Amino acid sequence: MPADPHPLIETRGLALWAGTRRLVDGLDWRVNAGERWCLIGRNASGKSSLLRALAGLPVPGRQGSVAWQGRPQGEWPAAEAACLRAWMPQQATDRFALPVRRLLELSRVQVEGSELDLATLDIADLADRPVTRLSGGERQRVAIAQAAVQGAPVMLMDEPIAFQDPAHQGLVARWCADWVLRRPGRALVMSSHDMHWVARAATHVLALHGDGRWRAGRAQDLLGAQPLGEIFGCDWLAAGGSWLPV
Amino acid sequence: MIHGLPLRWTLALGAAAVVLLAALAFGSAGWDTALVLALRLPRVLAAAGVGALLALAGLVMQVLLRNPLADPYVLGTSGGASVGALAALLIGTHVWLGAGLGALGAGGLLLLLARRALASTDEASPRLILVGAMLAALFGALATLLLMMTPDERLRGAIFWLVGDLSAARDGGVCSAAAGLLLAILIVRGRPIDRLMLGSEAAGLLGEPVRRLRVELLAAASMAVGLAVATAGAVGFVGLVVPQAWRLAGVQHTRELAGLSAVGGATLLVAADLISRTVAAPMELPVGAVMALLGAPCFIALLVRGVR
Repeated sequence: MPADPHPLIETRGLALWAGTRRLVDGLDWRVNAGERWCLIGRNASGKSSLLRALAGLPVPGRQGSVAWQGRPQGEWPAAEAACLRAWMPQQATDRFALPVRRLLELSRVQVEGSELDLATLDIADLADRPVTRLSGGERQRVAIAQAAVQGAPVMLMDEPIAFQDPAHQGLVARWCADWVLRRPGRALVMSSHDMHWVARAATHVLALHGDGRWRAGRAQDLLGAQPLGEIFGCDWLAAGGSWLPV
Repeated sequence: MIHGLPLRWTLALGAAAVVLLAALAFGSAGWDTALVLALRLPRVLAAAGVGALLALAGLVMQVLLRNPLADPYVLGTSGGASVGALAALLIGTHVWLGAGLGALGAGGLLLLLARRALASTDEASPRLILVGAMLAALFGALATLLLMMTPDERLRGAIFWLVGDLSAARDGGVCSAAAGLLLAILIVRGRPIDRLMLGSEAAGLLGEPVRRLRVELLAAASMAVGLAVATAGAVGFVGLVVPQAWRLAGVQHTRELAGLSAVGGATLLVAADLISRTVAAPMELPVGAVMALLGAPCFIALLVRGVR
C-alpha cells in the first residue's frame, strides 16, 4: 500500500455549539492510520456531537472543517464516503424484525476489508436471531459487527461498551486492538466513560472539557489522576494500574 | 429456484389461481360464458389490480415510515385520494387525476409531519399511527363536506369513494399495468429499499441517495393509492395485512416481498369481492366494508401484541 501523506481524519478550527453553550472550540486534531482514539469527557460535553461531525452526519451549531484523507468531507460523494468510514450509533433503532445475518448482509459496502469472524464478537450463534429479540449488549456487539463488515478503514463508535458486561467489555477492547492491527491503514475513534476500559482499548485520548477546551494526547499521558481530575472535576484513585473515581 | 418454485410461491400462486377461478365461477347467475366474460372478468381483473396496487403501496409506506403497521387507509392517504376524487367529480375533471393528487398531498403531509413530530426519536411507532389516524379523520370530514355539496344525481356514485366498492369498477387493465410498473420499480430498487428499512441515516451512511429514493417512493405509492381509489374507492387494510403476513412468514428481501405482496393483495381483494357479492346475494355489500371487517381486527391484534 503506498504511503498516504494525509491523515485519515483531520479537523481544522472545528467548533460545536449546543444552543448558546460552547462544547468544543478550535479543535485542530488528526487521526492517523494505526491509531485507536477514545473521546472522554463529562455528560453533554459533546462527545456524541463530535463523533457525528466526524462521520459527516448533520450536527446543529457546527463550524470549522473536517477532512477525510485530505479531502473536505463535503466533497465526498455518499457512495465513496461509505467506503471510508463506518458509524456505530449509541443505540440502534430496529423497526423490522430482520435476522442478524440479513442486517450484516445489508451493511456490506465493499468486499475489501469486510471480512469478519462473528465468533470474535461472540455473536456467531445469533446469526439467525431477529435483531428485535436481542439483549442490549448483544445488539451492540451486532452493531459493531455491522460497522466492521462495511469494509471501511475508519470506524467511529459511540460508546461501544455502554451495555456490555465485564467479560464482553474486555472482549470488545481486544477486538478493537485486533481490528486496527489486522490491516494497514485502519483507525478507530470511539467514546467511553470507563477509564479502565479506555486504558485497555485506546492508544490515544481526546478529552473534552465541555466548555470549549480540549486536550489530545497519548493514552498513558492523559489517563492519570491529575489530568482526569481536571477533565471530570472529581478526584481519582490509582488502583491496580487503573483509575477509579472517588 | 432450479428445483421448482419455493413453497411460499407455490402457495401464493396456487391460492391465487383457486380464488380467481372461484371468483369467475360463482355469482348470482351461475356459469354463463358470455356473462362471465362481459361482467365478471372485468370486475375480477379490477379487484386483482386494485389489490396488488394497495398491497404494494402499503409495503412502500411501511419502508418510508419505517413502521410495519403503516397502511394507506389507516394513515389517511386513501382519505386524501377520496377527497381529491370527490373534488374532481364536483368540478368535472378526471377522477384518477384528483385521486392521485389527493393521495400525493396526503402522503407528503404525513411524511412532513412524521419528520417534524418524530425527529428526536427516529420515527417512533405509536405516535406516527396516531398522527396518521387524525389525518384520516380530517380527510373523512372533508369528504363528508364535499358529499353534502354534491348534486343528487351524482350522489350515489360519490358515495362509492367513501366506502370502497367494485361493482362499477372497469379499469382492471390500467390497475394491473400500474401494479406491474410499481412492482418493477420495487424490484429494481430492492437493495436500496432494504437499506432504507435500517433508517434514513443508516442508509445514507451506506451510500444510498436517501432523499431521491424517498421522493421516488412517495410519488410511486401516492400514484398507486390514487389509481386504486379512483377505481374502487377507499378499500383499507390490504396494504397492511398482506406484506405483514409475508414478513411473519419469513420473507425479508424487498424484491421477493414485493412479488409475493402483489400476488397476495390481488388474491385477497378478489376473495373479499367474491364474499361481498355472494354472502348476502342478491344484495351486494361494499368490498370496503368487507375488508375493514377482516382487516381492522388484524390491525388491532398487531398493535396490541406488538409487531415482532
